Amino acid sequence: MVNVKDLNVKFGEKHIVHDVNFIVNQGEIIGLFGISGAGKTTIIRVLTCQIEKKHWTGNVKVTDLSPAKKTNHSTILSNIGYVPQLELLNLYFELSPMANVEVFTSTYGKNKKEAIETAKSLFKILDIPEDTWNKRVKHMSGGEKKRLSMAIGLIHRPHVLFLDEPTTGVDASKRYDILTYLKKLNQKLHTTMFIITHDLEAALICDKAAILRDGRLLEFDTPQKLISSLPSEGLVARFSIENLNEKLIENIKKFTPIKQILRVGNEVIEVLMDNFEENLLKLIQYMIDNKIKIISMSKDVANFRRYFQIRVQKEDEKEKGLREAKVIKK
Amino acid sequence: MMKSKKRSLTLNFKKFNTIITNLKNSILRIIKQVKKEFQLLWTDKFNILLAIVIPPLIIIMLGFTMTDDSKQIESIPCMIVSYDSNTFINENDLVESKLDHYTIPYVNAVNKSSMLDLVRFYNATEEIYAMEQARNALISGTVKIILSLPVDFTEMLEWGLPGLIDCILDASSIQYIQQNLNAVYDSIKIFINDTNLNPQFRVQGFEEFSVPEGYSSSFNSSIVMALSFMVFGIAFVLSILVIVQEKPIARLLLTPVKRSEILISKYIAYVLVLLLQVTLLIISSLSMGLYLTGTIIDLFIALFIIGFSGLALGVFISSQSKTKTQANQLFLAFYLIIILLSGIFIPIENMPSYLQFFAYILPLSHGDPLIRGIITKGQSILGLHFFWLCSISLILLIVSFLIFKRRKYEV
Repeated sequence: MVNVKDLNVKFGEKHIVHDVNFIVNQGEIIGLFGISGAGKTTIIRVLTCQIEKKHWTGNVKVTDLSPAKKTNHSTILSNIGYVPQLELLNLYFELSPMANVEVFTSTYGKNKKEAIETAKSLFKILDIPEDTWNKRVKHMSGGEKKRLSMAIGLIHRPHVLFLDEPTTGVDASKRYDILTYLKKLNQKLHTTMFIITHDLEAALICDKAAILRDGRLLEFDTPQKLISSLPSEGLVARFSIENLNEKLIENIKKFTPIKQILRVGNEVIEVLMDNFEENLLKLIQYMIDNKIKIISMSKDVANFRRYFQIRVQKEDEKEKGLREAKVIKK
Repeated sequence: MMKSKKRSLTLNFKKFNTIITNLKNSILRIIKQVKKEFQLLWTDKFNILLAIVIPPLIIIMLGFTMTDDSKQIESIPCMIVSYDSNTFINENDLVESKLDHYTIPYVNAVNKSSMLDLVRFYNATEEIYAMEQARNALISGTVKIILSLPVDFTEMLEWGLPGLIDCILDASSIQYIQQNLNAVYDSIKIFINDTNLNPQFRVQGFEEFSVPEGYSSSFNSSIVMALSFMVFGIAFVLSILVIVQEKPIARLLLTPVKRSEILISKYIAYVLVLLLQVTLLIISSLSMGLYLTGTIIDLFIALFIIGFSGLALGVFISSQSKTKTQANQLFLAFYLIIILLSGIFIPIENMPSYLQFFAYILPLSHGDPLIRGIITKGQSILGLHFFWLCSISLILLIVSFLIFKRRKYEV
């Protein structure tokens, strides 16, 4: 459905995306994760024909068509849908949801009757109350607008739907609702979905997660596989330690089976190590011997959020090492 | 006692110190806030332009345009039609003359006046259709004044009575009347100096430009000016936000719709509104007593093209504005300049030549005379004003298309 090979994006001297490769099959939900400036939006802009060919190289196919050719743009844009982060970019607030449906379906050359039928079924899946269908969008609640925006993105039944930060600006409980709706839509319509997000909880519904950092694709796999690639398949020990500081952490790191320590709170660390069960008691003994006061301790399995943190931290450390090596060389 | 006094003094001093510190902090905060405001203002350079550059620029332009210096005013084209002849009876003898002897001194006075430009002199005693030809010249705009010397002009002056000069003025435009009268008076002053005789002038209405009985002349004179203003201004203000305000355009561009299609659809919608607006304006004007000497079709087309030029200018500004505020500011700046240089308040001929160049580029400078010509003089729409309005609209339309095509949109 979407094939990206050796994608590089450059704006003048600025190299934004470096050698990105991935393949996405029909019906998959892909999460693009990364901090700001990681290159998520740039990749999506290439896929949605928003960046001129002179700025990028590589072999990119969206619904078997290359955005490199201008003549393909119209067909690609017919095959894809886009849900921007802000609803005001996707909806005419002064019009009703049904009028919005008409505006957008007309651009795809769909007939009105068919469009209204599609809209009704989408509105029902997304629980958009019927009494709001013919009222002005501006009178709808934030959540309803968000769902309507998704419906507009799907109104022409695209093969691929791109969603930019779908859970941003939504309160915690509603965030899960949005993700559930997206999963529901994906299951019913078999639409391939790309979710660009900072919200790591979105990985819950993703078939594959792409982790980007500084324009490079660090990982592209199922969230489960990524988590299980951690030492001891992602088992973590969480310690609450009195007067925790960097010096203490450095001291704990000296316990050799430890692979990674994450500081997750003021006095809380999470420890990943090889042969978790075997080494946990030894670690506790080591801490007692070194007069490190443990307030509490628990055992858990890492989630995607933890995986992301570990992976990015690992990359940071790698980069730091490289920089230091360069300085020494000089 | 002393101790308690000392304590109260210390307390008062502490209070005073606190007040001073608070005041100092408050002033510092205000200074920081003011600095922030300036920083914010500085981020949009156009704000600075509008606040600092545009107002003095308008005053300078006003200074140039609203001058009373007669040297700056171009001489007004005029014609003299002289009936001053007939039998001249003297106390001693009887002399018959075709052209009386005070006609030529007056013609010379007109020639001497820098405010008048004598296009032609008619001896009405020999040319039967002199006045008719002069009137045609007035309607076509070749001349602005007809100076008619009556049959007894010389006789009256000879007998020490005021010889009356009839002035038929182009009264279709209010701002020209006073200027025309000043020019006539200038010629009379020269005549007095040359001959030591004291003629007077009276202003005659020109029936083609005045409204018949039953029509309100004040309504007619104001509606002529208001129509072009209104139709241009409304189309301009309506279209100023047409692109810049529509946020989902960026998203629409991620559908197969083309930029040209978006712009064309906007033009179509606004043209339909304009057609309705022009129709309603004509109906309401006629029903309120507009005396139209030209044809309704000419008036309709003229109002439409004036409105369309306003629409094209509005779309042009909207297509290149980054924010709504910027579009509104540009609207204000453009509209002030267009009104000032339109010739509605200050005759364009009186402006310095470089300002005249700008004035003639602007649409309202052609819209007002076009409407005036159709309503008051029964002129046809075809002419320089109409073709310029069509051209400027077309240029603006093409430029706005090009700008919109290159405009960066990102979702």
